[in-house]
Amino acid sequence: MFSWQATPLRPLTLLGMLIGVVVVLALVLGIVTYLIYFERKVIGWMQGRIGPNRVGPLGLLQSVADVLKLLIKEDIIPANADRALFLLAPVIAFVPSFMVLAVIPYTASHIFTANLNVGLLYYIALSSLTILGIVMAGWASNNKYSLLGGMRSAAQMISYEIPLGLSVLGVVMLAGSLNLVTIVQHQATDRFGWYIIPQIIGFVVFMIAALAELNRTPFDLPEAESELVAGYFTEYSGFRFAFFMLSEYVYVFAISALATTLFLGGWAGPFLPSWLWFAIKTSAIIFFLFWVRATMPRMRGDQLMSFAWKVLIPVALFNVVLTGALSLIG
Amino acid sequence: MCALRSEEMILNVGPQHPSTHGVFRLVVTIDGEQIVDADPVVGYLHRGTEKLAEDLQYVQIIPYTDRLDYVASMLNNYALCHTVEYALDLEVPARAEYLRIIVMELQRVASHLLFLGTYLLDLGAMSPFLYAFQEREQIIMLFNEICGARLTYNYMRVGGVQWDAPPGWIEKVRDFTAQMQKKVPMYHQLVTGNEIFLNRVRGIGVISQEDGIAYAMSGINLRSTGFNWDLRKNRPYSIYDQFEWAVPVGKNGDCFDRYFIHLQEIEQSLNIVAQAVERVPDGPIIGKVPKLVRVPAGEYYRGIEGARGELGVYLVSDGKDKPYRLKLRRPSFVNLQILRKLLIGQSMANLIAILGAVDIVLGEVDA
Amino acid sequence: MFGIFKGLGVTFGQMTKKKVTLQYPDVRINMPERYRGIHQFIPELCIVCNQCARICPTDCISLSGTRNEDKKLRIDTYDINFEICILCDLCVEVCPTEAILMTPRFELASYTRDELYKDMEWLYGNHLGEFGSHEQAMAAQAAREAEHAAAAAANGVEPGGDS
Repeated sequence: MFSWQATPLRPLTLLGMLIGVVVVLALVLGIVTYLIYFERKVIGWMQGRIGPNRVGPLGLLQSVADVLKLLIKEDIIPANADRALFLLAPVIAFVPSFMVLAVIPYTASHIFTANLNVGLLYYIALSSLTILGIVMAGWASNNKYSLLGGMRSAAQMISYEIPLGLSVLGVVMLAGSLNLVTIVQHQATDRFGWYIIPQIIGFVVFMIAALAELNRTPFDLPEAESELVAGYFTEYSGFRFAFFMLSEYVYVFAISALATTLFLGGWAGPFLPSWLWFAIKTSAIIFFLFWVRATMPRMRGDQLMSFAWKVLIPVALFNVVLTGALSLIG
Repeated sequence: MCALRSEEMILNVGPQHPSTHGVFRLVVTIDGEQIVDADPVVGYLHRGTEKLAEDLQYVQIIPYTDRLDYVASMLNNYALCHTVEYALDLEVPARAEYLRIIVMELQRVASHLLFLGTYLLDLGAMSPFLYAFQEREQIIMLFNEICGARLTYNYMRVGGVQWDAPPGWIEKVRDFTAQMQKKVPMYHQLVTGNEIFLNRVRGIGVISQEDGIAYAMSGINLRSTGFNWDLRKNRPYSIYDQFEWAVPVGKNGDCFDRYFIHLQEIEQSLNIVAQAVERVPDGPIIGKVPKLVRVPAGEYYRGIEGARGELGVYLVSDGKDKPYRLKLRRPSFVNLQILRKLLIGQSMANLIAILGAVDIVLGEVDA
Repeated sequence: MFGIFKGLGVTFGQMTKKKVTLQYPDVRINMPERYRGIHQFIPELCIVCNQCARICPTDCISLSGTRNEDKKLRIDTYDINFEICILCDLCVEVCPTEAILMTPRFELASYTRDELYKDMEWLYGNHLGEFGSHEQAMAAQAAREAEHAAAAAANGVEPGGDS
């Protein structure tokens, strides 16, 4: 199999890499566009509504129109904002969301996947960089609601990094590798099949922590509309606002892809091509995220924290111990 | 704990804010996320209804009452008409009384549904809002058929009602009531059992019975404290004494009790409507009322159980066709007074839960 | 913990239910006969008794009339200011000759406030909208509804009623 890591860097391979990056970027932008459309449709159906249906056939161009609108809007920077930080924050929030996609193995022939041997660690490390952008945005806006939102999200995302990291440890222990490709391959040969079965506790903790990491209902405190207006991006408009939205939805996709890879056997599946299996599994998880959003009210800050520290982390630790004990016995 | 001194911050919640349900401003002083002080500022929607009424004939005041508590216009209509009828010592025909009961209780259901929806929206759940509005829409369409308006009904008149039920309307109401009675358990499934919701409202914003009485609260806010006080039972007016129904009462006086009583009251109101539609008599819909209503000189007060508490009309007349003074006891405004006491010491997230559960309508607060 | 799953069940069950939203500009909401929309004024019937202007709680009606050769009053101007009209129906109730009526039309949005000041001609032809006659207006409405019903059937979406 062709591997980027094993080939020396030549102009031609560099060009190939660049093309690869652009293709992934375009693909992800397309996915995100329809992710937003899909979310609005699903939530609409669950609420007795039709959802977007005006722009294009079946409203398919709605998200495109929305993004276009955001791009041509005036870019407003509040007079009292910390200008440099204000401009930088969306970029810092956005870039890691795309960088984490490098390690996701979409297909069996992972052309665009960096076969990193610390892939999982890379994902978790980079995704926590986004917090920095959010806190910066909250601080630099010089708006009290933004500040509260920024602080809330810093506290929340840092707390939930820990159960997220611990919940995937079980998978790492079973597969014996941090490399996502290896993890998928292991699941094909493991006697329990997909890791969702031996790692069901880990999966549940992972999904809850992932929801919190994504700032989505029921953990959407940082952007709690009814309390903080829009949280950390209250003052943002135009394409800077679009950056925040984009990074949020890219993370929705990324974390669903990660869950697929770690717990649902990644691209593996009979009959259908591997990329289609990957798409189906990822869509199922994304649908679940939207479904939860249509149902749940928001949690309260202090309850959120105590839930992370008093419930999720002990459960995740227990899962690690259990997995270790089981693999010693079996 | 206090080694680290932090500064307090003044936060303006409103007048334009998603959760103040209108133009209500709350100046909160917060320390971190904890509320140190809260200062409600009202009056952004003040239209001077009471003063305007002094220059209007009684029939002209009725459309203005529509705009007080604009989600429960029928009850406001009734409060005024009832007071004038009481002052004139008027007999209201039986059919009119039944039609009034039906529309008033349907209105109460609609108003409580709106509370449920917006309260859950405040707490971050989106779907219950849209479900509640689906049912509310049906009630509004029923009202639209009987009086031709969806929100500002102007339906009642001194001595009766303006429009008789159109053909088939009573049957429609009967169908709706039966259907709605089946829908209520869905809200319990969707919301009441949800642990996240319970954690947010249980034990939050507790009003003690003494406080409730001391602050002159009424309606669900008072009943949630365990004090059984419903004007429909305690000071019966209209024909409420002819129906079988119960007054739901809470125990703890917290936000959950207030939410739960709203749902229970929907059931009880539907109960009343279901009984009323079965025995609507035939006959005139408006009594013998002079064309120009002149209230004999004197002072009159009648309170009815509005959707949010005791909706009182205090009328001073000097014998002319216009009131000398019309004072409206607006339950939202009175219930709002306890807000500061409830908020101090709470967190920002609880602010929304408490403000939502006190259930104010700004049209009524500011009048 | 089970409460959460019950809630998830409720929202999932809603997915297949009939949608209740109305495709508004394409499908008009069917207003009942009694609907109190924008007024229609019929000058031939008016006897200039001024009762509507007097009963109006917001004083939004202004009218003037002159006496004919045969001593009968004839309406000259009749204006309703829809900036302040609250569509309360009191003017219709007091009119002895049913010269003023309420139509099911409710769309009054405009770019300037001046446009909300409607005169007698406008109020007379009000129920016709942009169409020349009543028949044309009805035919256009029916055609629009049929067209939308066909489109909705193609999309698999119920056109939606008033429920």
